[in-house]
This record gives sequence, C-alpha cells and structure tokens, in this order.
Amino acid sequence: MSGTVERRFTFPKVAIIVGAVLLAAVWLVPLLWAIDTSLKPEPETTQTPITWLPGAPTLDAYQSVLEQGSILRWFLNSTIVAVLVTSLTLLVSVLAAYGFSRTTFPGRRVLFGILIAGILVPPQVLIVPLFQEMSGLGLVDTYWGMVLPQVVAPVMVFVLKKFFDGVSRDFEDAARVDGATRLRIVWSVMVPMSRPILVAVGIFTFIGAWNNFLWPFIVTTDPSMMTIPVGLANVQGSYGLRYAQIMASAVLGGLPLLIVFALFQRHVVRGVGDAGIKG
Amino acid sequence: MAVQTPTRTSTTEARHAQEPPRNGPPWIEKWGGLFFVAPFGVLFAFFLLWPTVAGLWNSFFNTSLAGVKQEFLGLQNWREMFGDPAVWDSLKNTLVFTAMSTPPLVIIALVMALLANRKGLLGWLLRFSYFAPFVLPATVVTLIWVWIYQPGFGLVNGLLTAGGFAEIDWLNDENRAMLAVVITTVWWTVGFNFLLYLAALQGIPEQVYEAASIDGANGRQKLFRITLPLMSRTTGLIIVLQLVASLKIFDQIYLMTDGGPNYATRPIIQYIYESGFTSYRIGYASAISYLFFAIIVIVAVAQFKLFSGKKEAV
Amino acid sequence: MTPFTPSRRTLLTGALGLALSGTLSGCGAFGHGARVREWNLFGGGDGARLLQIHEKFVAEHPDIAFEAHTLAWGPPFYTKLAMSAAGGRAPEVATLHLSRLKGFSPTTMLDPIPLDQLTEAGITEQDFLPETWNRCLVDGRLYAVPLDQHPFVLYYNLEICKKAGLLGPDGRIKPVKGVDAFLEMLKAVKDTTGKFAASVETTNPWRLWWTLYGQLEGKFFDDSGSRLALDDAKALEALQLMAKLAADGLTPKSSDYPSLVAQFTNGDAGLSFNGEWEVTTYQTAKMPFSMAPFPVVYDVPKYAGDAHTFVLPHQAGRNKDDTAATITYIAWMLKHSADWAAGGHIPAYQPVVASPEYLNLKPQAEYRSVAPDVLYDPDAWFSGSGAQLQNEAGAAFAGVFSGRTTPRQALDQFKAATQKLLDTPSPV
Repeated sequence: MSGTVERRFTFPKVAIIVGAVLLAAVWLVPLLWAIDTSLKPEPETTQTPITWLPGAPTLDAYQSVLEQGSILRWFLNSTIVAVLVTSLTLLVSVLAAYGFSRTTFPGRRVLFGILIAGILVPPQVLIVPLFQEMSGLGLVDTYWGMVLPQVVAPVMVFVLKKFFDGVSRDFEDAARVDGATRLRIVWSVMVPMSRPILVAVGIFTFIGAWNNFLWPFIVTTDPSMMTIPVGLANVQGSYGLRYAQIMASAVLGGLPLLIVFALFQRHVVRGVGDAGIKG
Repeated sequence: MAVQTPTRTSTTEARHAQEPPRNGPPWIEKWGGLFFVAPFGVLFAFFLLWPTVAGLWNSFFNTSLAGVKQEFLGLQNWREMFGDPAVWDSLKNTLVFTAMSTPPLVIIALVMALLANRKGLLGWLLRFSYFAPFVLPATVVTLIWVWIYQPGFGLVNGLLTAGGFAEIDWLNDENRAMLAVVITTVWWTVGFNFLLYLAALQGIPEQVYEAASIDGANGRQKLFRITLPLMSRTTGLIIVLQLVASLKIFDQIYLMTDGGPNYATRPIIQYIYESGFTSYRIGYASAISYLFFAIIVIVAVAQFKLFSGKKEAV
Repeated sequence: MTPFTPSRRTLLTGALGLALSGTLSGCGAFGHGARVREWNLFGGGDGARLLQIHEKFVAEHPDIAFEAHTLAWGPPFYTKLAMSAAGGRAPEVATLHLSRLKGFSPTTMLDPIPLDQLTEAGITEQDFLPETWNRCLVDGRLYAVPLDQHPFVLYYNLEICKKAGLLGPDGRIKPVKGVDAFLEMLKAVKDTTGKFAASVETTNPWRLWWTLYGQLEGKFFDDSGSRLALDDAKALEALQLMAKLAADGLTPKSSDYPSLVAQFTNGDAGLSFNGEWEVTTYQTAKMPFSMAPFPVVYDVPKYAGDAHTFVLPHQAGRNKDDTAATITYIAWMLKHSADWAAGGHIPAYQPVVASPEYLNLKPQAEYRSVAPDVLYDPDAWFSGSGAQLQNEAGAAFAGVFSGRTTPRQALDQFKAATQKLLDTPSPV
C-alpha cells in the first residue's frame, strides 16, 4: 500500500490513519487504565463515577508491593528460568538440527520420525504424568524442574533442521579441509550463517518461557520458587480489595518485556513472524 | 517472507553425496552424528516420551496424588470418562471458546497488519500498540481485565453507566463470562497473528504494486485483487495455528473465572488439572488427557492433510 | 540470608540476597538454625493480622529461621499444599481447615504431630473442647492442632440498626427467633438503608444454606456416612428463604465476596451474613459495627463453621531440629491466640478463651457462646472448606439468588453433583 506515486492526503488515506490510530488507542487503553489505577490512592480506585486521572498521583501502591510481596524474587526466578530455557533450547536444538541435517548414523530416520511425532504432543496433556515424574525425581520446586521440560521443543529442531538443509556445504568443506572438527563447524560456520533464524527462535523461546504459566504453575508449590506469572496469580487472593496494589504489581510484572519489546521491536516483529511462520 | 535465506545452493547437493573428507576412526564416522542428537534426544526421552507413555499407563490405574495404594482398573477410568458430563461440558466450552475466538483473532489481525504496514514513527507506534499486549504474561492480562470488568467501578461498566446503559455483570453471568474471556483473549493474543500477517505483507515484492499502478489500479483494487489473494495461504496457516492454540485454552479462564460461573467456562485442561491435582485422581486425569490428546491429533492431522501438497506454507 | 537455599543454588546466593532484601520473609542473620516455613491461606484482614503476629514471633525467636507465605484461599491453596506434600518438598507447617483433614489423606500427605514434644511445649488434650480435639485424630494419631473456630455470624452496622430500632437498651442488637421475626428485622434494615438489608456472598451461598439447613436439623449422609440422605423438604425450605431474600431485595441478587465486604462497608447493607473473619477489615474502615450470633431462624441453634488447624505436611526427610522449632511455633501461636482472636476467630485453646484479654475484646467475644454449636461440613473426602462439595453448592445455589434457577432445580443440580462425587472412587 506504500510506494505509490501520489503523496497528497486524500480523504480515504486520512480515514485509514484515523482508524489505525483509534484501533491503537483501544488496544492501549487497558494498559493505560492499569497504570492510571496504580497511581491512585487506594480509596479513589473504587469511587463511582470513575475518575480518569488520579487526583493526587502517588507511588504508594508500588512501594507496598515491593515491600510486602516477593515480586523481586519472582523477577529473579523468571529471569533465571527464561535465560536457562532460551540458552539450553538453542544449544540442544542447534546440535540436534545439525545432527539430523548433516550427519548419518544408524536409526537417524527413525529418530527424526519420532521427533516429528513429538511435535504433535501438546505439553498440556503431559502436566499430570510430568508432575508425577518430577515428584519422583525430586525436581518439584526447583529451577531444573521448571526448565528442562521447556527445553524439549521438537518444533525448533525441525525449523532449524530445515534451515540447515538449505545452507550451502561449501563453507563446511572449506573449514573441514582446514582440519576443523564437526563440533567446531557447528559453532564457527552454522551458527553465524543462521544468525537471523537463531535470533528469531531465541526471542520466541524467551517470550514463551518468561510468560509460560501452566508448567511453572504445576511444578512450583513454594511461593519463593515461583516465576512472575505464577507468583502474581497469588496476589489476587492475598491482597484483598486493594486494586491500586494489584494494578501496580500487574504493571511491574508486565514492564520488563514491554521495555524489551519497545527497544527491540524490529527484531521481535521479524523474529516472531519468522519463527511463527516456520513453525 | 522476511527471513534472509543464506546462499542456497541446490546444485552443490549432488556433489556432496559422497563426502566427507575425514571424521576420525570408522566407529566415529558411523555413530558420531548421534552425539549431536544425543543431548536433545535424552531430554526428549525423559520429558516428552516418558510422560506420554506414563500417562497412558496411569490411565489404567487408580493412581492417586495422595500416594495411597495403586490398583489396576482396566478400562474403568475410560468408561467413567465417557459417561462423565463434566468431561463433555468442558470439552464443549473449549470448542465454544475456539469457535468464538478464532474469527476475530484472524480478521482483526489482518486489518491491523494492513493498517500498520507503513514506515516511520506512525508505523512503529501502531505496531507497538497492536502487539504490546502479547508480551504480557497471562496473569498480568487477567489482573487488568478482571479489574476492567468489575461491577460498579470497573472501566467497562463505568463507561456503560456513564453512557446511560445498564451494567453488565461480565464475569458472574453464565451467558456473558465466555464473551468476557474471548474479548480479553483477542486483546491479548491478536498481536501474534498480526505479526504473521505483517511478515507476509512485507514479503510481497514492491514491484507487484508498481506494476499494478502502471496498469492504473487504485488502492481498493490493489487491496482486493493483489494483497488479499496473496494473503490467502497465510490466512490458512493462521487459522490452523489459531485453532490448535485456542483448543489449549487454560490460563486466562482459570485466572479470570476459575471455570465459573456454574462451570460455564471451564475448559477441558482445567478439568484435567482439577481431577488430577485438586481431587488427586491422577489416573482419571490421565485418561481425560488422552481424550484431549486425540482431539488435538485429529485437528493436527487435518491440518497436515490440508497443507500437504502445497509445497511451502507461505 | 534466608536459610532455605539448597547448596545447589549457592551460585545464586549473591543475586538472591539482592532480591530478598526487599521481601518480608522473617529472616535474621542466623544461617544454620532450625527453620520453619509456614504456609497459610489468610488474605485480607486475617493476613495482615497474621503478619503482625509473625513479626512478634520472629522477634522473640532469633534462633529460628522463620518464613511465612500466603497462598490464595481455597482450592489454589489446598491443591498447592497437596502437590508439595506429594512432591516431598513441603513446608514445615501449614494451616488446614479441620473439615479438610480426612479428605487430605493424612496418613500419606501429613506427618503425625509428635505428642510428646507438644506436651513438652505445654499443649495438651485438656486445653481443647473434646469435640474439636477428637476431630484432629485419625487412626488414633494426632494430625492437626486446632488454632480457632470460625462460625457464620451476623455483622450489624450500629448506626443503621439504631435508626431501624433494632438495638436493645444495652446497645446490642435484639436477638430474633423464627422466620417471621428474621424477615421483619431485615425489612426494617432495608427501609433504613434504602438499598439492601444484608450483604451475602450469592456466588457461593453454601455457608448460609448449611446454617439454615442445620437449624432445620437436616441430615446430609445416612448413618453409614456413604449415602446421601438429604431431606428435600428442609433443603427446599432453606433455598426458598434464600430466594425470597433476593426477590424481596433484602439481599443483592448477585454479589461475590469482595462485593459482600464492600456493601457492608459503604452502608448499602446494614447487616452482613458472613464468617467472623472480617473484623479487622471493618475496624480498619473505622465503621460503627458490632457482631452477634447468626439468628436462630429455624428450630435449633446451629452455625456453619470450621476450624483452622496447624498440620505438618509430609516431608521426604523431616529434620528433627526443624520439627522441634515447628512445635515451638505452634505452641507459641496457640498461647498468643488472643491476638489472633482479635481478627474475629474464637480461640480453640481454652486457657485463652477464659482469659480477660480475650473476654474484653469487643465485638470479638460477643459470639463465643456458639462454639459448641458450630456445624462442620459433611464428612467426606470431597467436602470441607473450599472443597468440591462447597463449589458444587455454589454452582447450583448461586442461581437461586439471581432468580435464574428455581430452588427445586438448584436442589436437583446439587443432589446430582453430590451423588456423582459419592459415586467417584475415593482417591484417599
């Protein structure tokens, strides 16, 4: 729709822009309302008729949330889990994708077939037996208990394998002539060649791990081990009617990825688009 | 597509059929590749394959979370499941949610992509606004929306009463609760489909439009004759992805309504969770998990049938 | 540093220190003392009060590393507690409703309370009502130590009730008996507020219904305890009264728990039918209110209620020092339960009930007489506070208030749901 010759503002063009902005406003209102509420003194939040802007904006709610909650601890847990999940997923998926794409060994086809079948298994159907297993392994309420099942992403291996299949072997051959091992080739040839897709997979995995609710919700029972989404689910119950505090914790919980998104929009937009399409 | 594919060479494929130069002793030559697959393979076996098998196994026992003695039941769990109205009700809720949420999630996403496919600050702002909710965790989303839906002082009802309309008891009314959840879900997740559309839009070569302009096509014609037809495959893909994603609904509903009021919104995964963990009935919950698994597989196979034959998805 | 960091996580200790400096866990500078992690389900006013009591405990016990966590009330709390016991990494001590004890599979999911240590800490059987104590025994072993009892009561707004002419010369609400007197009282309040007479949780009216049904001397199970023996006529009588309350505008047609609190606080309702645990909330709101036993609307005084207890969730390897510290904590909490009683609950520990400190609490001591008439939930694995039976009741009975279902339909739905639960093989 861009790239046309005329640059004049015609009525349809203005209408489209107005429509786009209105839609954006509708989409932003809930976020702004949450921020707005979080800045109000507690009694003002339940006033009728509702007030638009806080009469006397205050950061009290944020202070109480930070003081009384475990929100900082949950941030830390989320960060640890998301970083571990992302790096381990990339590591094992790249290795496996290379193995399936470039090496031959007995049973390779069968294994790849099982992997493809694994894509069909929704993690949601595994919560019950997986909890049993974690309980048996003593991994309930541990970082590894949260992380390891999330690392198993057959679809990522599939995406990367398809990508590696399309990478020319000339570079590898050159490296191999120089005496590089296959492991070295993965690191110094395949990884740099596939940076865009790795960034895409990485971003996608990170957002997914940071926001994952169901599995951490199942495998953590100790509030000090919970991640942000799981921990905040408890807030509802324990803060009672204090909406300013509830909204303050919601804003805090949503802020990190919103900032990341604002800073790296280009990568995220492309990354999610790519990973989604490939997946 | 937006991804920059590195140098693809199909001509070199044949030449490499008889490689490789050196890989050490023969056994490494033969089995070495397995080491690349092994880390993933071990995790896959432990955390996907094993629970899949264990779940099936458990479904034939009266396994209890409470750890009391376990007995073989044969097909009793399965029989109970097929006669359990809560299974079918929660399955129905899941399907209703899927049917209600998929159309807006596809259509609004397309409209957004068409609107936001522009350069400059405005484009940035639009993309940010449309996609921002998607990066929020489920809990943040539901905390905000439960607040917005509050009777009396909630935003929506505040606006309704200010406009002279009657209040709606969004989350406590059996007939409205699912709609409330769908609205929240559309707000939250439409951004993902929006990005898929946007990526596809940006993949349309500029020359196509230029050629059309030379032929005298106006904006409307370009939209309906070029853009939308080129989007049809993406639409198919999005619909399929969305169907599978919607069937897995749990987070928002559990957090907003806890399946209520009167179980009117309880999805199948929540019933699995409640049977297995709240009621300790691991065996029974495993049987329901497998029913749900079967449905997902049917949908996924249908997807495969639909898309096989077309060489590339987009 | 908090002492709960296993060695595998020592790498992170530095980072944790940063993160934990802002949390409220009761950690001191004693890295290797006994630790007590306590989980509870107290939100709102109770939660705030418990926090203060815990601060006191921590101050008096620098040798115990104490940490308390509040989880969302009801199914979320109980599900998490069961999963943690199944996972073997449970906290040292947790609160549990007495009505949930048998359904919690105590022999596998709880560890028995070491009686000798409890006695040593100065807590014995004689300190409790026999009925309460006996409920804590399973197969002859003690699995729970009762902290309090919490009956369904009547809250009343002093100003509104005075205007409505309901207060006696002593400033207390005049007790009413019988359906007609009850309804008259409500009408008088409604006429004064112009809105509602009483606030109730219509989204889960189990406690109200169980109180009314109990006052009609209705039975739930037959003597074998495994067959539903619900008396239709009595159950319907109670439901019809509930329907009438809503239809006449004496109570809201739809109101969840937060609204129940809000309506009493802002004066939309001059009465509130609820458990006695919102005292702190209303005191904080500085409103003129008092409390009384819920009226005897029907034949006998019965009040739906329950008791909070302390239990030791099952741990794979229970540490002796930790258990000793845990018993110290439980004993300390009982002996200081006058502080807890200030939040509304009737202490289970009888020496406190007899203490002037408790007796002088107003309005908290006003309804202590009902303790023996507290009506626990039916005895079944799916029953108890926040358990499935209550949820089924909520799902079925909420429609009676909103007018969506008739009492008959609601009762049929509830009976079918209960029958289904009875037919389900018990997992415990």
